[in-house]
Amino acid sequence: MLSEICEGKTLSSVVREITQETINLYAEASGDFNPIHIDESFAAQTPLGGTIAHGMLILAYVSEMMMQSFGLSWASGGKLSVRFKAPARPGDTVTVSGKIDSIEHKNNILYANCSLECCNQKNETIVIGGAVVKLP
Amino acid sequence: MSDKGKKEAYITYGELVPGYEFPPASYELNTALIAKYVKAVDSSAGKIAPPLAIAACAMATMSGALSLPPGVIHASQEFEFFKLVPIGATVSCQARVAQKITRTKMRMLVLELSVFNEDRERVQSGKATIVLPIERADAE
Repeated sequence: MLSEICEGKTLSSVVREITQETINLYAEASGDFNPIHIDESFAAQTPLGGTIAHGMLILAYVSEMMMQSFGLSWASGGKLSVRFKAPARPGDTVTVSGKIDSIEHKNNILYANCSLECCNQKNETIVIGGAVVKLP
Repeated sequence: MSDKGKKEAYITYGELVPGYEFPPASYELNTALIAKYVKAVDSSAGKIAPPLAIAACAMATMSGALSLPPGVIHASQEFEFFKLVPIGATVSCQARVAQKITRTKMRMLVLELSVFNEDRERVQSGKATIVLPIERADAE
C-alpha cells in the first residue's frame, strides 16, 4: 500500500517477463485459446508475425500494481480504462508504471485519478490509460 | 476455465447485432480456479478473488459462445469494480453486443460485460473493444 496518497505520487512499478509459457498458462487459466496467443505457426503467418500475450494478461499486471498501491479500495471501487497500443510478445519485459495525477472530491468522496502505462524493454508503450480509485 | 451455463451453440460475427445478449454463465471462483489464475499472472492469492480473474470469467462468457475468426485482438478495455468477491463465491456473468463497427480495413465489436454476486448485486462491469481481421470476418 502507498504510505501517502497525494498528487504526483508515483506508484510502485510491476515488472514481468513474458514467455510463451506465461502466455500458455494464462490461456489455460482464462480459457482464451485464440491461436494468435498460443499457436506459433499460425501467428507467424499473421501481420503480427508471431504470438502475442493476451491483453487481459497485461491488464492483470496493471491490476496488480493498483492492488499493491491501493489495496482493497481498488477491488471494490476501482475504474480502469486502457487502450492497447502494441502487443507484448514472448521475450518482452513489461513494466507497468503509474502516477496519481490528481485527488478529487465529489459528493464527500475522495477519488485518486491515476495515469497508467505499460512499456516493453525498448521503452515502447504497449498499454496506456487511466484509473480512478475511490478512497476510503 | 469451466462454467455452469456453457452452451454448445455458437454465434458468428455475421449473425451478431447490437443488443444481442450472450447466454449468461456462472462461475464458482473456487480455490483451484483462483490458484491457476494467480499462478498464470505471477501473483499471490488472498481471501478475495482478484478483480481481473473475475473479469476473465466475464470475457469467457462471451468467447465461449462466440465463433470468431482466429487473429482477433483486443483494442481497448474498461472495467469498473464495485464490490469485493470472496474466493469460493459464485458469480453470474452477462455479456452483450453494444456496437458493431465496420471500417474500410477492419471490423470491431464493442462488448459490454456485467458480473453479479449471489445476491444479484453488480460486482463488476466492463466494456471490451475487439478487432477482427477483415478477410476472415468476411468469410464468416
